[in-house]
Amino acid sequence: MEKRIITLCYRKIIDINCTKAWDKLVFEDSYQEFKLQAQFYNQDKKYNTFSELIYNVKGSEKLHFLVSGAIIDYLRQLNDVIPEIANNIGKPFLTFKQFKFEIINSDLRNIDKHVIAINFYSEPLIWHDTIASYLLTSPLTATEGDMLTDMFAIQPFLTIHSIK
Amino acid sequence: MERKNFLRSLVIGAISTPVILEACKKSSTTSSIGTTTTPTGGSSTASCSVAPTETEGPFPTHTPSSYVRSDITDGKTGYKLTAKIVIGNSNNNCNPLANAIVDIWHCDAEGNYSEYGGSGMQATNYQSVHFLRGRQTTDTNGLVTFTSIFPGWYSGRATHIHVHVYNAAGTSLKVTQIAFPEGTSSAVAAVNGYSKGMSGYTYNKSDNVFSDDSSGIEIATVTGSTTAGFVLNMQISVPA
Repeated sequence: MEKRIITLCYRKIIDINCTKAWDKLVFEDSYQEFKLQAQFYNQDKKYNTFSELIYNVKGSEKLHFLVSGAIIDYLRQLNDVIPEIANNIGKPFLTFKQFKFEIINSDLRNIDKHVIAINFYSEPLIWHDTIASYLLTSPLTATEGDMLTDMFAIQPFLTIHSIK
Repeated sequence: MERKNFLRSLVIGAISTPVILEACKKSSTTSSIGTTTTPTGGSSTASCSVAPTETEGPFPTHTPSSYVRSDITDGKTGYKLTAKIVIGNSNNNCNPLANAIVDIWHCDAEGNYSEYGGSGMQATNYQSVHFLRGRQTTDTNGLVTFTSIFPGWYSGRATHIHVHVYNAAGTSLKVTQIAFPEGTSSAVAAVNGYSKGMSGYTYNKSDNVFSDDSSGIEIATVTGSTTAGFVLNMQISVPA
């Protein structure tokens, strides 16, 4: 098949049920930041939930961006490696620089309602071929000739984000 | 240490410790496969894939919000501005308020704020996404100091810095803005709107936020020059 350049997106959902240390830190700190930042859009203290703010207060969609400030240093701790997504020999292989943080739900009264997503966008990959259900790729930075490759399956919450 | 932060650090410690033990256990039994925690949305019988089997690490450590820093420049170019803001308690003769959390944010030399570009919330590089936004906690003199650049301007607004003051527990005490003095020898005149110039600039008397400030209580004292940099001093009193 013709070689194509793709980027992948892994959408990682974090909620109260997450147990990993990194997830819990991101969960708790993003909730604290939400409680701080939401007050700017809730100066009359009329609302309790993120969705109430989004539907009623102009500009409150900036909370996605504003709350992301609390988790940037946790992204740095990943050293550019997208977590959890492994190739077929069990090694993390996707690197990222781009991300998008989303608040899915939250409630100023109850941390249990706090749900967020971090979208990790991979650095570009060369998609050489598809073997059975596996994509065969190399980093775009790989040199021509004897190219090293990764094989991996598209799994839930992982998608091809862009192609050219 | 402020009590809430202290309690919080205990909570974090309690969370981290068992996981550290778990991590140690894992590294000593590297031959066992599949002990890695199932990721959120990870492999399932519906889509079977190999779970990561790499040495864990670097181990996550608790870090404060990336806003917590004195230098908020993030590589943005412009004339240096040192902002010294003193928070007073208006319920206590405006005496200094210690341990207040102070957020500031302002636009860059071109008049743009850090935020996700456009309305589509597209992906952003995580390295420099929150430029010209910062958070400090007041000392016993009620003082916070930020290093930044002199703000540019955008249509409809005079030069300004946004300020949000919280008490130590994070409860909002005041949302306000700092205005800049104007006139022939002012910093606003010296900076001259950077590359935009001052054509179309909105002065304080026409600004929809500052125009009702007849006593000038929202206007900071700004000294310095484009070569030496500017120093802004401002007292903000909040009910605490």
